[in-house]
Amino acid sequence: MNRMLRTAALMLVPALALLPSASASASVFVQCPGDTDGDAIIDHPDPDHPHAKCMHLAAGDGYAWMADGSELYVFGFHDVTGVPPEHVMMAGMLAGQVPAPTITLDEGDELYLTVTNVGMVVRSDLNDPHTVHFHGFPNAASVFDGVPDASLAVNMMSSYTYYYHVVVPGTFMYHCHVEATEHMQMGMLGNLYVRPRQNRLPDGTDLNGFTHHTGNKYVFNDGDGSTRYDVEFPIQLGSFDAYFHVMDETFQPPPFAALHDDYALINGRGYPDTVNPNPLPPSATTGRVSQQTSSLITVDQGQRLLLRISNLNVTRFYTVRTSGLPLLVVGIDAKPLRGPTGVTEYYTTHSLTTGGGQAIDAIIDTTGVPKGTYFLYTSNLNYLSNSQEDFGGMMTEIIVQ
Amino acid sequence: MNEQITRLPAVVIAVVAAGLLSVTLVADVPAAEARINGLSGATTFNFTAKADHLSTGEGSVLLFWGIANGNGRAQYTAPTLILNQGDSVTIALTNELPVATSLVFPGQTHVSASGGTAGLLTREAAANGGTVTYTFLADHPGTYLYHSGTNPEIQVDMGLVGAIIVRPTGFDPLNPTAYGPPDTAYDNEVLYLMTEMDPRLHALVESQGVAALESTDYLSNPEPNYWFLNGRNAPDTMAGDGVAYLPVQPYSCMPMMHPGDKLLMRNIGGGKDLHPFHTHGNHFRLFAKDGRLLRTSDAAPISDLATYEYTHKAIPGETFDFIFEWTGEQLGWDIYGTGPGFHHTCTPDASGFDLVTKEYCPDHGKPIPVQLPPDFEVAIGSHWGGSPYLGHTAQMPPGAAGLNPMGGFTYMWHSHQERDMVNNDVFPGGMMTMLMVVAPGTHIH
Repeated sequence: MNRMLRTAALMLVPALALLPSASASASVFVQCPGDTDGDAIIDHPDPDHPHAKCMHLAAGDGYAWMADGSELYVFGFHDVTGVPPEHVMMAGMLAGQVPAPTITLDEGDELYLTVTNVGMVVRSDLNDPHTVHFHGFPNAASVFDGVPDASLAVNMMSSYTYYYHVVVPGTFMYHCHVEATEHMQMGMLGNLYVRPRQNRLPDGTDLNGFTHHTGNKYVFNDGDGSTRYDVEFPIQLGSFDAYFHVMDETFQPPPFAALHDDYALINGRGYPDTVNPNPLPPSATTGRVSQQTSSLITVDQGQRLLLRISNLNVTRFYTVRTSGLPLLVVGIDAKPLRGPTGVTEYYTTHSLTTGGGQAIDAIIDTTGVPKGTYFLYTSNLNYLSNSQEDFGGMMTEIIVQ
Repeated sequence: MNEQITRLPAVVIAVVAAGLLSVTLVADVPAAEARINGLSGATTFNFTAKADHLSTGEGSVLLFWGIANGNGRAQYTAPTLILNQGDSVTIALTNELPVATSLVFPGQTHVSASGGTAGLLTREAAANGGTVTYTFLADHPGTYLYHSGTNPEIQVDMGLVGAIIVRPTGFDPLNPTAYGPPDTAYDNEVLYLMTEMDPRLHALVESQGVAALESTDYLSNPEPNYWFLNGRNAPDTMAGDGVAYLPVQPYSCMPMMHPGDKLLMRNIGGGKDLHPFHTHGNHFRLFAKDGRLLRTSDAAPISDLATYEYTHKAIPGETFDFIFEWTGEQLGWDIYGTGPGFHHTCTPDASGFDLVTKEYCPDHGKPIPVQLPPDFEVAIGSHWGGSPYLGHTAQMPPGAAGLNPMGGFTYMWHSHQERDMVNNDVFPGGMMTMLMVVAPGTHIH
């Protein structure tokens, strides 16, 4: 039955694809200064917007692999930056990625983020709009905040361009806010972080006794080098309720009251898929690759490793811990752990507890750490599982080499 | 996709628009206008514990046990006590419930109970008419809760929980502070008493009595499917205080502010679950927990261990206080609009803000950098004012929007554990409400 539904739904793809060309040019509409052909790539930089950065996301549906070999129907965003407008619908449909494409920004950027709603192909009855909520964006304006109740949400086959003047560095996240309980449970969840201006200081700049060198990277404009790191990994904690996804796939009302997640994930994968360095194989249903983000963490002995932890599950709190690697917490929610008068509140721990919508920046200094494989895993131990498979879940490996 | 709730929150009529199509920016309204509703000016209270029925956000009805002030109807949540530091408080409790009950006051000192019968945590009022009297000293400012001390695993879910606010010594209503120090000063304040209910438990108590719970696992395996702010589920959270259609749920939960205002949030984990509490719009400065300032020592002049967060891990039994501010600083475009019909001036102070309107002057006159899609390409939110500019509205298609006649910027403040944003099986609802930032000069009450 399930397979038949999928097949029937997929037959709709060519029909849908014909529509944009038939309905004039207003559908896919990228706004990006310096882009001359509508593909969200800056062709001739606009001198009025030297720090413009453009990105184009298609919002739709797709499938994702769970680590026990089952596939779940998902909603997702797909990166269509660089795709000519006339090909965006085909490129974006059934290509929703889990997690959503990572957005990396520099402090001072102007982000023009276009979202095109390519429709949920499998749910031919579902004409939901979509949004992007830049979670944690400071001094947000409601028009670009992505809350459908408080603003506008883009309908199928149309585009909406969000504008963000990015002035605060740190770890944020983004997600669709339409029918938030449903669209987030269904997977429209992305990593997003902003690198600080301090990274771009002239070589040799003195930071209160710490000497900055070109190439140094910091979590924040810390003024003392205390948040310097060498390598960084976004770690999105999440979890899915397979029953909810099956109900959604099969045209049933979302079972909100029965929500109970049974696949615990890091960056949209359960262990051991988390340590697969490559994208996961194409979906058996759609042939599309939807899980690009590996969580295999490798670091050279002596390097400082930054984990940008964010939690976007919708049902519970998770604690993750490290085996043998102390975590120095330097920031939460895109703010350095410092009080209003500058009192530093960094602390060292082996466990981090977050609920949905929380972020933590933690640095692991591998100086003197024996080479080998370490684990980042949930201490909610029942979630070291992939649904009925007594193995896996919210875990990945940190290899010190 | 699910059925959208179309009942109109009464906040539409609780606010006054300051001109719909073009707002002239005028002086900010003086401080101290939006206050928490509750019982203030008294230190002696005569409470009655009794049963009643409340209305959930999607229109269901639940039996609850609540506290009535005097001989009135029970209410959920229990009356908010607004006290002054140093008050000696007396609460005489009469119990009309079919079970013994009591009250405990975590965070207060010199708590004593007299009368009634001996209980586990405190003295109790016997079922069906028993009485007991509690006294305590409110010797510390801050945000606290009180709740049943008798089978709290049942009675708090049934509804016996309320908030206590203690004003600091020297409190000046025209220049209010939460705790006394200058960094706890605020213009507006809002209470978020977060609770949840397991509807199975309420139905069973109503049909078979509380003893029937003994043969269930409702306590060891709770399934709360209603989540409340100040005793209401969204969208009722956004209705005004004391609206007639919520006779036993008198407390609104809809913060409002102007750009540049300091909004004090008093948040209480009144239930049994953790909730990640998220503010859209900006970070907040969290400066106190459990009625104590976050500081290196009592000699520190301000809360120097305050943290800045956009989502807080709200813990059951814990209270926390934060200050939220919003100006639109550095958005990169003029939030009051540009061109004909949007004339306004901006005179920067040393920090770049207009002293009167709190506009961020370096962005003054910069047009919004993108064009919005036409109406037919978007779904229009009920709290959308029709314009991206603060204090402005614009014509929208028939039936669209309607809950934002003053053209405010609306931000969802909610549990980011999004399953808490549902009323049983109906989205949206639950532990969710909206902050509305309104243009300078717009009246708030």
